[in-house]
Amino acid sequence: MSTAREEILSKIRATLGHPSSNGKASAPPDVTSSVPARALGDVNVDVDAVLGELAKVGATPRRIRRREDLHAALGALVASEGVKKATLWDTEDIRALGIADTLTALGVEVVPGNADKHVLAECDLGVTGVDLTLPETGTLVLRSSAEKPRAVSLLPRVHLALLRPSAIRPDLHQVFEEVGGEHYFVFVTGPSRTADIELTLTIGVHGPGALYVWALEESV
Amino acid sequence: MAITAQLFITCLHEQFYPNALKGMVSVLESLGVQVEMPEAQTCCGQPFYNTGFQSQARTVARQWLAAFGKTDGYIVAPSGSCVDMVHHHYLELFPKGDSEHETVKRAVERTYEFTSFLVDVLGVTDVGARFPHKVTYHASCHGLRGLGLREQPRQLLAAVRDLELIPLPQEDTCCGFGGAFSVIYPEVSESMMVTKVRNIEATGAEVVVAGDAGCLMNIAGGLRRAKSPIRTMHIAEVLASR
Amino acid sequence: MTHTVTHIDFRANTQHVPPHMPPSVQKATSKFLGNRAALVDIIGQDNWQALRQAGHDLRMHAIDHLDTYLEQVEQRVTEAGGHVHWARDAEEARQIVLDIAREHGVKRVVKSKSMATEEIELNHALQAADISVVETDLGEYIIQLAGVTPSHIIVPAVHLTKEGIADLFHEKLGIEAPPDPKVLTQIAHEKLREEFLNADMGISGANFIVAETGTIVVVSNEGNARMCTTLPPLHVAVVGIDKVVPDMQSLAVLLKLLARSATGQKMSCYTSFITGPRRETDEGGPQEFHLVLLDNGRTRVLQDDVTRETMLCIRCGACLNTCPVYNSVGGHAYGWVYSGPIGAILAPQLLGTKVASDLPFASSLCGACGEICPVKIPIPQILLRLRHRVMEGDSVEPAVSPPSARTAADVGAAVFASPFLYTTAARTASVAQTPLSRGGWIGSMPPPLNRWTDVRPFPTLQGGFRTWWHEHTPEAPDPSLTSQVHETPAMSEAPAESIDVVTKEVGVPSVTADEPKVTVSPDEAVPVSRDGSRRRRAAQVVAVAAAIGFIAYGIREWRRRS
Repeated sequence: MSTAREEILSKIRATLGHPSSNGKASAPPDVTSSVPARALGDVNVDVDAVLGELAKVGATPRRIRRREDLHAALGALVASEGVKKATLWDTEDIRALGIADTLTALGVEVVPGNADKHVLAECDLGVTGVDLTLPETGTLVLRSSAEKPRAVSLLPRVHLALLRPSAIRPDLHQVFEEVGGEHYFVFVTGPSRTADIELTLTIGVHGPGALYVWALEESV
Repeated sequence: MAITAQLFITCLHEQFYPNALKGMVSVLESLGVQVEMPEAQTCCGQPFYNTGFQSQARTVARQWLAAFGKTDGYIVAPSGSCVDMVHHHYLELFPKGDSEHETVKRAVERTYEFTSFLVDVLGVTDVGARFPHKVTYHASCHGLRGLGLREQPRQLLAAVRDLELIPLPQEDTCCGFGGAFSVIYPEVSESMMVTKVRNIEATGAEVVVAGDAGCLMNIAGGLRRAKSPIRTMHIAEVLASR
Repeated sequence: MTHTVTHIDFRANTQHVPPHMPPSVQKATSKFLGNRAALVDIIGQDNWQALRQAGHDLRMHAIDHLDTYLEQVEQRVTEAGGHVHWARDAEEARQIVLDIAREHGVKRVVKSKSMATEEIELNHALQAADISVVETDLGEYIIQLAGVTPSHIIVPAVHLTKEGIADLFHEKLGIEAPPDPKVLTQIAHEKLREEFLNADMGISGANFIVAETGTIVVVSNEGNARMCTTLPPLHVAVVGIDKVVPDMQSLAVLLKLLARSATGQKMSCYTSFITGPRRETDEGGPQEFHLVLLDNGRTRVLQDDVTRETMLCIRCGACLNTCPVYNSVGGHAYGWVYSGPIGAILAPQLLGTKVASDLPFASSLCGACGEICPVKIPIPQILLRLRHRVMEGDSVEPAVSPPSARTAADVGAAVFASPFLYTTAARTASVAQTPLSRGGWIGSMPPPLNRWTDVRPFPTLQGGFRTWWHEHTPEAPDPSLTSQVHETPAMSEAPAESIDVVTKEVGVPSVTADEPKVTVSPDEAVPVSRDGSRRRRAAQVVAVAAAIGFIAYGIREWRRRS
């Protein structure tokens, strides 16, 4: 393997006209200000922007103002989507919101997010928080850890993302400032989709076919 | 203070569209431009360059330089593609270090496509033309994208009296000429030409106008094959109409 | 069975385009272009052009320091617990993946869309080793069932109808289904879900590799890439060395350009940012991560300072969408995995000009691709550089054109470079065309010019301008018009910019053959004496007569044989 490595690198160096690397490239061009940065405005406006973008791509957004509304909404979701089994992130916020208990009370079997993938694949619903979000595109940024297992937002056919206003960031550049060094994160911008067959848009392919995004007031 | 313009007649326009050249001469003279024509010119070398024969292109370009290099004033051609060749490829053929480089550089700076010369150099958009017909305009690719001539032809046509300009669907899309392309891949060229002809016919125009002989030959041939009465004209002919 | 492309015959391919291909392709491309245009409007032209320039500059910087950044990628991925492999060519890359699979007793593989893996024909190699490999991108899944190559970078099965796909599912999966995209997608979803959950290994490509962090970035809409890179215990990413991006801030610019340029979405549905394997068991994700860095000809692309910019490509497909040639014939005509304008410049460089000499000519040089490319690759300029490589050869590859072509070009250049021969030829043609022309048109010409007349008539030569010029009386200036004239003082302003651009970008072209140096003295250039011009006219008449005799003979022979 080292022969291939050396051969490739030396070919590159010979072509670019410099000897073996001194390990330093000159700094890349500063591109952070290539387009005027979007400023954050009133938080309500920004939340509406996030939800508006998500609605455009087929997600189902809403705002939740009170704890009671959250529980009622969960009940409605379980009923309308026929949720029998669910999984969720195990973060402080999700625990504090009592999601697992509410679902159990609704007759839903709740499995932890770190369960075997075959079990998770049987779940109808996956509930996560949102680490960061972008108003320009409605993108939800989800990290990965023991508390935030990756498959929760991937395997169930319904993904419910609970969004706090504090997650809002003005621009992709800020997002990368914060999470750029993480070992894994994913951008979610809508329910899964394809137009591969005759360019007809079909929602729901492999990733969740339904994405609910609920913007919770900080007070919830 | 007379402005001088050397006619760069181009091989295709000389052989197939002398009326475009006559139109260009007429417009320039009526604008008070002192027009001259270097006799030794033949071709800019583009057919060779575009088919990968850069050495041969250089040979032909040297003749162009011999014809134009020592002249005064501007060099004006009724062709976006020939001017694009001079602007964008002559300095590649005669780079820094080549004995002709400085001559080429000076010539490149003076060379203009006809509509650009009128609008950008002379500052004129109304050339006193009258052409009482329905016209649609095909934006030839090299002029449009190579030289950025988006507005100049339009501004000139807008000032022509009694001319009704009908927008051409997909006006920016290539007509399928592409020089040697038309004979290397005739099936694809045909497909593109047919699309262009259909779009032209759909406008209901009497005349289709373009700025390059290659496009005109291709489109005119296509319209004839389609037995269409629509005429093809070079923009210089329209601008010279009274 | 591995297909090794030996020679791409573009013309032959264009003669066999199924009739439904162009309309299917155009339906997709016009949709993507329309969506893209709407988003560019929202961003604003100035901002969009600024983004394009930034995208170009940062990618150029990455390519200019490719060795350093690749070493950084290797370091970071290794620090993150991943394994980095280097593959000089397709065979080596296939072997690396096979070795990893064998070491882990892999029997089932799920794969997300990766042009690089198609380039190296990885699936065939795995299947030959008795390892099942399933394409999970819906379009790729469909063409895998159909046994064909992709016809578009973004929507590989766009040339197939829903009826065709329903038939395909019936034939290959034994499932009866109506030609309804929703139903067909659901079938694929169920089939593939089982594969995702039980695969031993997931293979992906990557849209980008970020050197600063060792992160691979995978963009998708369906979620299959997330499945392939999350569920199996082992993840192998095969990525071209040209995908390098210096840092995350640079990546932000490219992500703003990519989805908008590709499909006209502000952001694709999913973007995964993966640095090595999982860190904790409970988070899920692969325990083991391998990155295969693929050369396969990319180092050759670097060798030429103009063609080097081919490496900037972010595989968005915008050039395909806007290309009138691609829209006329679809992707298969290009004969390899990369089609459209990017295929026309990449294939001859990765496969070599011997194989792909047709492709640089598969363009009318309209320039639409260069205008739309989000990272400002000068595609038309590269096409011209590659045509030169094919016809005359350069420092990267020898010429592959037949000597007869070069001889013909020499003869042509000698004629065009000489005013005497040029005008003689024109006069000859004017006379020779007479028997062939009707009403100002020539309906058919002998080969090879019949390639023109088979499609549409050729106009007759008119000539006579120079005579007219000598005889015409200059028009008097029209005062009402001359008053408008204000000569723009800095006349060098307009083209000077293009001069700087050209001299900056262009290196010294290699001199390959001895070029006949034609020096024309000013005296020769213009007929100075009456005697001189009379002698010239006489010589021309003789030359014309001889040429006509020759041509008449040729035409008679042609008519006799056809």
